[in-house]
Amino acid sequence: MANTEEAKRKLNVIDMFIDGARRGFTIGTTNMLPNVLMAFVIIKALNVTGLLKVLGVVFAPIMALWGLPGEAVTVLISAVMSMGGGIGAAASLLTSGVLSARDITILMPAIYLIGSLVQYLGRCLGTAEVSTKHYAPMLLICFINALLSMWVMCLILAFF
Amino acid sequence: MEENKQGKVSVVPEKEDVKWYSYVVLLLAIIFFSGVFASSTAWWSVLDFNVLDGSFGKIAAATGKAVEFRGVGGSGAKDGFMFALSLLPAVIFALGVVNVVEGLGGLKAAQKIMTPFLRPMLGIPGICGLGLIASFQSTDAGAGMAKQLYQQNLCTDDERTLFCMFQLSADGIITNYFSSGAALFSTLVVPIIVPFAVMMLFKVFGTNLLRVYIKFVNKKQQAA
Repeated sequence: MANTEEAKRKLNVIDMFIDGARRGFTIGTTNMLPNVLMAFVIIKALNVTGLLKVLGVVFAPIMALWGLPGEAVTVLISAVMSMGGGIGAAASLLTSGVLSARDITILMPAIYLIGSLVQYLGRCLGTAEVSTKHYAPMLLICFINALLSMWVMCLILAFF
Repeated sequence: MEENKQGKVSVVPEKEDVKWYSYVVLLLAIIFFSGVFASSTAWWSVLDFNVLDGSFGKIAAATGKAVEFRGVGGSGAKDGFMFALSLLPAVIFALGVVNVVEGLGGLKAAQKIMTPFLRPMLGIPGICGLGLIASFQSTDAGAGMAKQLYQQNLCTDDERTLFCMFQLSADGIITNYFSSGAALFSTLVVPIIVPFAVMMLFKVFGTNLLRVYIKFVNKKQQAA
């Protein structure tokens, strides 16, 4: 780390920007793009099969707690699999007019607070060797965080 | 979500001064992503991410209405691809800026400011500061450091669990929010920094929730 940091210090601001931008390009094309594309395909499949409407009706009473349409639940489900997927689902539903800009704003922190949990169980808790007996409460807390954050966003939106 | 940071990393922060400009850079970065100057038309709107991110040119559509190159009415993989493509500039730009902030010591400054608050706020030792900042950028680096801190007896098992709780919810927050999240920045009806602040708030809240839980479990075990 010391070596790379020393090397970094020798870079000027332009090099730093270009380096970061290059990383952005890599993450964008190899990670964000496939995840977003997958989310769009899932939403399309749900749309074609009529399952999106079903989900919308089934989850309408729950999502109404945050003033969201029932379909918004697909954003949260996709987010648990991958953050980019959650964003993609949100964008797709925004395009089709199911979600409004306000709905997206409410969902934004929640997408990340429960984001990629499927992966991060291994990549965070597994790598750090956290005792598995804590996994359940930790996952539960992530969901609590996400659900509460949507109310906080509703509250904040009252000022905008 | 983000690239792997392989190799051995030092978990103990090096003794070094944070330069004055690092604090300035940190402050500028906060302003830049806060959106406070977003609707300004004066020269200082240059200090706003969305202003510099700009906009795509419009193309005349068959309907006679001008639209962006993504078009309207698309769906499925093709529309997803076009949408992701339209996001790329924001992702590339945002991560470029984040790298400059990091390179000029902005994150180190944040670490220095935060270190004394880690014990009271999260119940973890101040030495976790470096790993904490690392986890904002890389899930893998943050988790790796948490493991090493425990192995080197710099934190207890419970402290490691708390540290990982802080990381887990919205892990890699800076890299992730400013890459995929950038997709919806222009859709947000609040400044970009607001959802970010809310996530930080809930990271702290969630960690304290687990803190209470662990305390409760430990007490029960002692009593038994």
